[in-house]
This record gives sequence, C-alpha cells and structure tokens, in this order.
Amino acid sequence: MSFSYGPGDHESEKASNSYLMSLIALIAGLPLPIINLLATGIFYLVNRKSSYFVRWHCTQALLSQFSMLPLNSVAFWWTLSIVFGSEGITNNYVAYIILVLLFNSTEFVATIYTAIQTRKGIHIEWFFYGSITNLICKTKK
Amino acid sequence: MKKVITQGLVGLTIFLSSWVLLNQIDWIDLLEIDKATAKTEIKIGELYWDVFKSNEVENKDAFVNKTIDSLVVKICSRNKIDREHIKVHILNKEEVNAFALPNGHLIIYSGLILASDNPEELSGIIGHELAHIELNHVMRKLINEIGLSVLISMTTGNGSTEIISQTAKLLSSSAFDRDLEKEADLKAVDYLINSKIDTEPFANFLYKLYTKENELQEALSWVSTHPILKERATYILEYSASKKTTIPEMILAPQSWKELQEKLN
Repeated sequence: MSFSYGPGDHESEKASNSYLMSLIALIAGLPLPIINLLATGIFYLVNRKSSYFVRWHCTQALLSQFSMLPLNSVAFWWTLSIVFGSEGITNNYVAYIILVLLFNSTEFVATIYTAIQTRKGIHIEWFFYGSITNLICKTKK
Repeated sequence: MKKVITQGLVGLTIFLSSWVLLNQIDWIDLLEIDKATAKTEIKIGELYWDVFKSNEVENKDAFVNKTIDSLVVKICSRNKIDREHIKVHILNKEEVNAFALPNGHLIIYSGLILASDNPEELSGIIGHELAHIELNHVMRKLINEIGLSVLISMTTGNGSTEIISQTAKLLSSSAFDRDLEKEADLKAVDYLINSKIDTEPFANFLYKLYTKENELQEALSWVSTHPILKERATYILEYSASKKTTIPEMILAPQSWKELQEKLN
C-alpha cells in the first residue's frame, strides 16, 4: 500500500512505536483490557501534531484498540461473574472466549507485522480500520 | 464512508457467524467441564457432611433408616432419579428441618419425621428436597452466595474451617430464593404423582406449619427457612388439581409408620 509521500526515518520510528505501545501495554496490563487502550491513547495525544504518516498510524493503532476494548471487557466481566458470581460455564461462554482469543491473537500478529513494516517506512492499511483512519486523518493544508 | 460501513458490516458478520459456529461445538463435553464440576461437588458435599456428622448425632437405627429409605426409593425409582446418588442421613434433632447438601446428601432431622402426621406428608418434603438436588439448586445457591472461587479454594484445602462451618449453616438454615422454592415444590408434586403418592398431605403439611408458625417459630426452622407457606400450600393444591392423577397407593403400613414415630420419640 503506497502512502502520499515517503516518510523519513524518525517518522517511521514513531509510527512503528504507536503499535509497539499497544503491545507492551497489552502484556503489562493483562488481564485488564483498558490498559492498552490508555497507552495507545496517550501515545496518540502526544503525537497528534506530528507528521501525517505518524498521525495516521497512531490513529489506526488507537482505533484497533478501541474496537478490542468492548470485546475484551465483555470477556473480562463475563469471566469475573463466573468466578465470583452465580454464572456457570456455558458453551456460549467458551465459544466467546475462544473467539476473543482468536481476534486478540490476530490483532497481536497484525500489530507486530505492521510495527515492523512501518519501521521500514512501508505503509500498511488494515481492513476496516485503515478505511476509518483515512476518513479521520487528513493531511494538514 | 460506504467502504467503511461495508467493511464494518463484513467484520461484524464474521464475528457473529464465527460465534454461532463455535457455539455448535459442545465445549462443556469436549473440555470435560462437567466432570471437573462433579469432582468439585463430591468434595464439597463431603466437607459439608463432615461438619454435620461431627456436630450432630446420626440415627443409626436399622428400622428407622430402612423405613425412610423405602420412601426415598419409591420416589426415586418412579422418577428416574439415580438412587445411588442420593445419600440419606437421619439426624436426631428436634428441629423440624430437612435440607440438601451438594453431591446428593439429603439430611432429615428426626423432628421433621415426628412433626409429620403421615408418611405422605414426609414424602412431600423428601420430594421437595430431592427436587432441589435434581434441579442443581444446591450448587447454584452456594455459587451464588459464596462464589465459585471460594468453593474451589475449599476443595483444594485452602478454605478455612470457619468458612465451611458458616456456609454449612447457610445450607441448613436459609431458604433458596422464591422462584427456586416454587420450582422445587412443583417438581415435588410431579414426583409424588408419578410415585402414586397423594399430594394433598404435602400441601396440608405446609398449611399446618403455617398455622403453628407463630406458636413454634423457634423450633420450626423449616418454617422460617421456607417462607410464604400458605401461598405455597395453595399453589401446590392448584398445580396438583391441574394434573391428571391416579388413585394414590398406600406407601407405608400404618403399623410401620407408628413404629417409626415411636422409635424416634
């Protein structure tokens, strides 16, 4: 996927870091699903006045974290209600947890891949998130 | 914008259809979750029974046990209840009480047997407690009240004896919620009908306890733990009337019932 201009090395590094932030926070913040969103959000705010390439990738990383938040939160509270509450383990629950794990793993792999590629200055647009990012993130005139 | 909506809908469809597809697999069976739960229940049942066994006196009289067992066997055999799973314990205690513990332990106090005027009344209460066991109310109540984490810690030996004793009281002296009580009552009526046992004495027994409630509140724990007796007696009668019943059979010879009462007095 081509970008409107070739990013410089410092831009590629920052853009790549926006994905790495979510990964590091994901590992540090487990099992709380909010930590990675917060970390990516802070990184986005810090870099919101950076160059277009950096902003674009910070936004894509943030959006992906936003969509994972409700999925992971449901999994988190559902699990708590089973462990501490009156809910029992059902097929529905197991199916949901497997699905959430699959989505998280896919997102994890995609994040690592994108972090590597953006570090090389290669622009990666994700399915759905890339399209929203294109709508939100505009070049400064 | 159109592209975003289309891709969003595709993503949502993939998520929901994957969930539906994954739901088709019987994970509970595949991951043997039921077996693990059953093991936990066996262990918890033993822990609680140990509390009652060490604090109360179990009636070991062969006649008493055989007679009560005959009632339990009758209800179980006609309702496809696994008799081997039900472990009946009669405790010598004046309290009018009966309750179920995890893993099919059914505790009956001698006070309840003495307070019953006939074996049909007693069968109604036994049926009610068997229904709690069969409908898995006991474990549900425990999980609800103390949580799965505490229960699991109890089975791994990390639970304190204090917690076990406290929660044992919870099982013997507090009611299930109203819906579960009603479910157990109606199930008990089904059990009695299938066993050709008259259902009216069951309702009568509750009504009798209701009228005695004020006089004997202290002694009748089954009353205080099973509220709304009058209402329950009414819906039991109504439910029984709505069911097609056959002519009830005699479940115990009057002489045996008399002897049972005498042995416990």
